Amino acid sequence: MLIEVHNLTKIYNEKRGLLPTSFEVEKGELTAIIGHNGAGKSTLLKMLAGWLLPDSGEVFVDGINLKNRMALVRKVGFVPETPNLFDFFSVEYNFKLFARLFQIPILRIEETLREFNLLPYRNNKIQVLSKGLKQRVSIGRSLLADPPVLLFDEPTSGLDFEMTKEIYKLLKNTHASGKTILFTSHRPEEIKTLATRVILLHQGNLVFDGAPREYFQSKIYEDLYA
Amino acid sequence: MIRNIIALTLNDLAIAFKNKTIYLILFIPLFVFLSLKLVDQKDATFQKIKIGLIQKEKYSPVIIKSIKAADKVFAISWLSDEEDGRRWLKEKKIDGILIGSEKKQRPLELLVLTKASFQTLAIVESFSALQIAAEGYRKNWISDIRPLQDSGIQKQTLPTWILMLALLVSFIIIPGQVAEEKEKKLLLGLLQTPMREFEWLLAKLFLGMILINLAVIFLHLLGKFEFGNSLSYVSFIEVGSFCFSSFGIFLGFLCRNQASARTLGVLVYLPLLLPSALSDFSQKLNAVAPLLPSYWFYEPIKAILLEGGRISNFSLEWVYLFLAGLLTYFLSYLLMKKRWLM
Repeated sequence: MLIEVHNLTKIYNEKRGLLPTSFEVEKGELTAIIGHNGAGKSTLLKMLAGWLLPDSGEVFVDGINLKNRMALVRKVGFVPETPNLFDFFSVEYNFKLFARLFQIPILRIEETLREFNLLPYRNNKIQVLSKGLKQRVSIGRSLLADPPVLLFDEPTSGLDFEMTKEIYKLLKNTHASGKTILFTSHRPEEIKTLATRVILLHQGNLVFDGAPREYFQSKIYEDLYA
Repeated sequence: MIRNIIALTLNDLAIAFKNKTIYLILFIPLFVFLSLKLVDQKDATFQKIKIGLIQKEKYSPVIIKSIKAADKVFAISWLSDEEDGRRWLKEKKIDGILIGSEKKQRPLELLVLTKASFQTLAIVESFSALQIAAEGYRKNWISDIRPLQDSGIQKQTLPTWILMLALLVSFIIIPGQVAEEKEKKLLLGLLQTPMREFEWLLAKLFLGMILINLAVIFLHLLGKFEFGNSLSYVSFIEVGSFCFSSFGIFLGFLCRNQASARTLGVLVYLPLLLPSALSDFSQKLNAVAPLLPSYWFYEPIKAILLEGGRISNFSLEWVYLFLAGLLTYFLSYLLMKKRWLM
């Protein structure tokens, strides 16, 4: 198993957060983590990314404990809902900073810029880019170190139809290159188009884990969404 | 229209309350009130002049008798020697020292902290009046005035400007930048790289130290001020910038956003700046100031720049600033490890 989650828990107050949750993810899966607002989707993803510290439980990615941040950062890339880029610097500068910290050759920056069609924007400041472009830069940056696992928090939130399609294409290509992807989503068409597996969270509990087709035919889908 | 303006004004007030700007409005007048209470005492105009006399010195009996008789104007402190007197003067326990002069007709020299001050003027005028009352003619007993801080008025203000710059960088700029990186999740982004927490903290610390050093160098170049005892001066600038930058980073970690960090920065900045900078003007402030780390930076800098002091005289202050900086650095490290308010 590439990702092993054992009793991962985070409680903000008595009602919100993630109750003890366990699951495993195999290499190459494209897993959609879904649920209503406050179900614990982003909390789960942020804990896997090391943004939040869990109250209890353990996570192993490729055998590396989540607590070993220095090793884990090379295994997991995270793309947050709102791109956290250095707005006042250029696209290239943002890539270079991360490349330096990861000690990645400069050549990799050129590759990534080309791969994500960002060459025309390389000298543009982040603050002048559209939300879709920012998201592309954010995804590109998270792939600089070539991590085997990628986490996306609402990757198409706030994007128009064209940009959403573009992000879908990016996700599919990234998945096709052998990456394991977990993403949170609200959109049924996104789950149908992209996911090979669905994990449904409800009020902090994992209530469904299976294939997308099973999910859309399940009673729990009818009860919660239909 | 009026309803809209009222709604928007209330909204703005709510934002000011939420980002803690309102605390400044409450805090600054309160702080000024307390400071003024310490500076402007009711009996300030009736304060006795505290004059130091050296035990071994042979003063004219007329002078001693006159000073003792004017016990409502003068309070005498007997000192073992001039060195002891200089120490008392620096600690502001006395306003001036009378030292025997070689000029026989006008037998006294007055040693004061600074020549151009209200205290020096008050001493000279009081002695002049005393002399006229005792001898009946206008010929001052004091032949010369020697200041302990032998420098121009511009240079005398330099330690205050340096303190102000160090605190400005440390408590206004640094906390804002730390909080901005937290608020925009830039720090969390950086923590997804193999960067260690202490490396990020050290980078911020160096930023603060570089900015303070640049500001001090720029100040010296513009004012054409000499550096005094360079080694002692530089070592205090470095330890001070280390201590306050580290403190500033810690403040930044206590805040969720830039607005809160700026407000908290000002709340810390003023109390650290004013009592130290104003300590020369009030005995009470002089008593309060040593409780603040800024005073442990300001006093040595002042002594090094104006009185030819050396680091060896202020080793305790240096160690204090270094340890305070280390402590706040460690606290910031703990907060960063806990992803505090990120």
